[in-house]
Amino acid sequence: MLAELINPYYLQVASFILINIILGVSIYITLSTGQLSLANAGFMGIGAYTSALLTLNFDLPIIVGILAGTLLAGVFGILIGIPTLRLQGVYLAIVTLGFGEVIRVIFVNWESMTKGAVGLSGIPHMGRELLNTLKDFGFDPKILGLQNNQFVFLAIFLILLGVTISIITFFRRQNRSRVGRAFAAIKLDEKAAESMGINITYYKVLAFAQGALVAGFAGALFAHVLAYISPADFAYHRAVEILIFAVFGGSEVIWGPVFGALFLTVMPEVLRFISEYRYMIYGLIIIIMMAVRPQGLIDVNILNWVKLKTPKRRQKHGTSSQKSI
Amino acid sequence: MLIEQLINGITLGSIYAIVALGFTLVFGVLGIINMAHGEIFMFGAFIGVVVTSTFKGPLWLAFLAAIAVTAAMGYLLERFALRPLRNKQGVSHLAPLISTIGVSILLENLSHHIFGPGNHPFRASFAEISFQIGSITVYLVQIVIFVISVLLMYALSFWLGKTKAGKALRATAENLETASLLGVDVKRTITMTVIIASAMGGIAGILVGMAFNSVTPQMGLSIGLKGLAIIILGGMGNVKGAMAGGLILGLAETFVVVYGDSGYKDAIAFAAIIIILLIRPQGLFGQKISA
Repeated sequence: MLAELINPYYLQVASFILINIILGVSIYITLSTGQLSLANAGFMGIGAYTSALLTLNFDLPIIVGILAGTLLAGVFGILIGIPTLRLQGVYLAIVTLGFGEVIRVIFVNWESMTKGAVGLSGIPHMGRELLNTLKDFGFDPKILGLQNNQFVFLAIFLILLGVTISIITFFRRQNRSRVGRAFAAIKLDEKAAESMGINITYYKVLAFAQGALVAGFAGALFAHVLAYISPADFAYHRAVEILIFAVFGGSEVIWGPVFGALFLTVMPEVLRFISEYRYMIYGLIIIIMMAVRPQGLIDVNILNWVKLKTPKRRQKHGTSSQKSI
Repeated sequence: MLIEQLINGITLGSIYAIVALGFTLVFGVLGIINMAHGEIFMFGAFIGVVVTSTFKGPLWLAFLAAIAVTAAMGYLLERFALRPLRNKQGVSHLAPLISTIGVSILLENLSHHIFGPGNHPFRASFAEISFQIGSITVYLVQIVIFVISVLLMYALSFWLGKTKAGKALRATAENLETASLLGVDVKRTITMTVIIASAMGGIAGILVGMAFNSVTPQMGLSIGLKGLAIIILGGMGNVKGAMAGGLILGLAETFVVVYGDSGYKDAIAFAAIIIILLIRPQGLFGQKISA
C-alpha cells in the first residue's frame, strides 16, 4: 500500500522544492538586513563543488563533504561580506553579481579540477550511499515493502525535509532574538540602528555569512541529490531564480521565500505545457510584482490575517504574532 | 602583430563604449541600473540579422530597423517597467533594478522563441575586404565599426552639451525636482533618455554582429554585464568615463587573449568591478558622488 503511493518522480520534485526553499531562505537572510545579494548562486556553487570534489577525490563520507562545502561557502561569505559592507543598494547587487560570474568563470576554466564546462558527474548519491551503508548492516528496503529505488528517493526526501524544517525553525527563532531584531532595525534605518548601539558591521557580516552558509549547504545537498553538477547550474540564471523566490513570495517574512520556492518549483511541473515558457513567465512575474505588489505575495498583514482566521494557530503563536517580522 | 591587436582592441572597446553609454545615460538621469539594456542590444543585433540575411536588405536599412525596434522597446520598458514604480510610496530603491531584471529574462527567452537558440551568422557584404598596410591587416569592418562608434559618441556629446533637449536631460540628471520646477518636462525627458539609450543599444547590437559575425540570445547577458562593469570602471553616470572605460576593457580583453589565458577573458570585467568598487567606488573618472 505504501509502495504504490511512493512515486520516485514526485519525491524527486519534492526534493528539489526543499532545496529551493533552503535557497530562498538564504536570500531572505541577507534581505532581512536590507542588503540585496546576488552572490548566493556563487556560494551555492562553492558548496556544491567543494563537497563533490572532496567525496569524489578523497572518498570522504558525504556528510563530511557537505559540512566542508557549507563551511567554505560561509568563509567566502565573510571574506566577501566584510569589504562589500561599504557598498549599498545597487552597488552591492552588482558586486555580488560580479562575484558570482567570477566564480562561474573559475569553475569553467579550472579544468584540471572541475572538468570545465562539462561538469562533474558520478558524484556519490546521498540516497544510494545511505542504502548501501544500511545494506551492510543487513537492512533490506523490502522489509518496508519498498523497492530499492523508492527507498532511495524517500530517504533523500525525508532527510531534506528534516533539514529544511530545522533551518526554517532556526531562523524563525533567530528572528525573535536579539540578532533578528538587530537585523530588522538595520533594514528599517541603518543610521538610527547604529545610534541605538547596534554594531552594524557585525550584524551585516553575520547576515551575509549566514546567507552564504545556507546557500553553500543547499549547493552541497544539490550536488549529492542530482549526482551531477556543471558551472551552468550556478550561473546568473540561478542567481535570478533565487531572487524571484523572494520577490514573488515576499521578503518580509520567512514564509514568503518558502512559499515562492514551493510555488515556482511546482508550477512548471504541474503545468507541463508551461514549462517551455517558464522563464518568460518568471520575467513577467517580476515586472508585475514590482509594479503591483513590491513586497511580494506574503507579507506581515497576510500572515496576521491567516492567523486570525485559524484560531488554533493563533492560540499557539498568540503572543508573538505581532513580532514575527 | 602588436598593432593589429591594438586595432582589434580598439574596435572591441569602441563597441563596449557604445553599450556602456546606454547604461550610463539611464543611470545618470534615473539613478537606475537598466539590466534589460543587454537584451535590448541583443534584439537590435537580431533585427540586423533578420534584415540582412532573411530579407537580404542593405546594411543601412538594418540600422534603421534596429533603431526603430529598440527605440520602441525602450519606450515600452519605461512605460511598463519603470514608470509604475516612480513616485510610489514605500517602494524599495531596489525595485527598479529587480523590475529590469524581469524585463531582461523576458526578452532573452522571447528571443529564444522568436529567433531560435542557435548561433546566427551576420553577413555584412564587405566582411572579407581588408587592407594591407605594411605588414598589418586591417579589415574594413573594423574601420566601419570604429567610425560609427566615434560618430555616435560625438553626436551624443554634442547633443548633451549643446542642444536644449540635452541641457534638459543634464538638468534632470542633476536634480529631478529642481529641473521640474524650472519648467523641464521631466516625464518626457526621462522617456526620451530611455529611448535614446535603447536605440544606441540597438546600433551597438548590429556593430557586435558585424564584428563577431555571430548573434545568439545569450549575448545580451554577457555583453550587458560587461557594459555594467564599464560604467562602474568609468564612474556611474559619467559619459566620458563610459567611453574611456569601454576602450580600457576592450584593450585589456584583447591582450589577455593574446598574452594570457583566453578562458579568463570574461572574468576581467567582473574582477575589475570588484576591485574598483572596493578601492575607488566612484570609478576611475567619477567625482565623489556622481549624479
